[in-house]
Amino acid sequence: MISIQNVSKHYGAFQVLTDCSTEVKKGEVIVVCGPSGSGKSTLIKCVNGLEPFQSGTITVDGISVGDPKTDLPRLRSRVGMVFQHFELFPHMSITDNLTIAQIKVLGRGRDAATDKGLKLLDRVGLKAHADKFPGQLSGGQQQRVAIARALAMDPICMLFDEPTSALDPEMINEVLDVMVELAQEGMTMMCVTHEMGFAKKVANRILFMDKGQIVEDDAKDAFFGNPRSERARQFLAKILTH
Amino acid sequence: MGYQWNWSIFGSTVPTGETTYLAWLLSGLQTTVLLSLSAWLVALALGCLVGVLRTVPGKALSGLAATYVEVFRNIPLLVQLFSWYFVLPEILPFGLGDAFKQQLSPLTQQFLAAMLCLAFFTSARVAEQVRAGINALPRGQKAAGLALGFTLPQTYRHVLLPMAFRLIVPPLTSEFLNIFKNSAVCSTIGLLELAAQGRQLVDYTAQPYESFIAVTLLYLVINVVVMGLMRIVEARTRVPGYLGGK
Repeated sequence: MISIQNVSKHYGAFQVLTDCSTEVKKGEVIVVCGPSGSGKSTLIKCVNGLEPFQSGTITVDGISVGDPKTDLPRLRSRVGMVFQHFELFPHMSITDNLTIAQIKVLGRGRDAATDKGLKLLDRVGLKAHADKFPGQLSGGQQQRVAIARALAMDPICMLFDEPTSALDPEMINEVLDVMVELAQEGMTMMCVTHEMGFAKKVANRILFMDKGQIVEDDAKDAFFGNPRSERARQFLAKILTH
Repeated sequence: MGYQWNWSIFGSTVPTGETTYLAWLLSGLQTTVLLSLSAWLVALALGCLVGVLRTVPGKALSGLAATYVEVFRNIPLLVQLFSWYFVLPEILPFGLGDAFKQQLSPLTQQFLAAMLCLAFFTSARVAEQVRAGINALPRGQKAAGLALGFTLPQTYRHVLLPMAFRLIVPPLTSEFLNIFKNSAVCSTIGLLELAAQGRQLVDYTAQPYESFIAVTLLYLVINVVVMGLMRIVEARTRVPGYLGGK
């Protein structure tokens, strides 16, 4: 589904990604973790072309992201993305947030789009908030709406960029619950997150990144049981002690 | 000081006999309002376009937009006005300059030059505010728009500009007020707007205090109306749960 081959990226002289390669198969859940500044978010933003890269290739469903001839908006409309800071559109009601891209990008009718949006809103447990505005919801609620907004486009895969790191501890679980459910339904997911509980529960593989490189690309049990690199061992020791 | 106040002067007929001094003032007011409003509409459209161009990726377009802003913001308004009215018609190619001078009535020439001058001058300032508004939005908003499959123009149209304009309503109000005040400069090319009519009144009636008080009050009325309008705009577009909304 997602294939990343030898991707490198630099800002001027600063190397952000070095020779990153991995595969995400249909239905797989991949968790990307690593220390801050290791290039996790940059990598995931390369997948839908939000960040350009200088060398290597990324294909999503067989379509090359870096190819200048690729219709990027069309490709992006098929790849859902959830951001650290939710990024709902503050001037639109929740319903409009859920329907605008369906209408303007996919060309759905308003009624069909609203139906779909409200169904998904119900699914993330927020049907009662359809007419509110993003600023009137809590962080956890906003993030669940953001997930519903991405799902409304019927994506072939979902990218999560630290979806819980801007949330109060109390709200993390309500978002993770939605993500777990999605994973169990077979959605192809690539998640940058430090939620190791989530990783242990649903991830197929863990990518560990450090200094712009993919240091480990292991099955979940191998990663948590016996990470091969010293750097990953240190990282796990630090985050799992609390 | 021995000044003879005479407020009834506004009701007296002008020397040519066909109307009153008050009517002179009101026709000046009408010119000022028409001139400023039309210039404001052009300035908003141009300023929005240039402000957006300053924020798009690609150095050529944003460089061009930056040059535009610097040119129209850094040359004094009076110099720009003289350039539009006296210089431009002389250097316009394809006989456009001659057409301007020969086929348009002097009044239309003055109005057009004044309107374009105010519009371009103000558009540079509007552009800076539009740019500031767009840059003040969280960076993730643009990414979120693009990630949903919006093209870049769609992202501006549906995501960035609606919030950017809400953020800049207060500074835009100032610009809107400024364009009315700046329009007084246009009396220098002979356009009979409010300030010019005020001065004409002084010349004809020798009642400078009454004349200038009336002119001042009329400018004040314009600005109170503008501020009221912009308050309504601000209240109507307020986003619930955001920036002072409920």
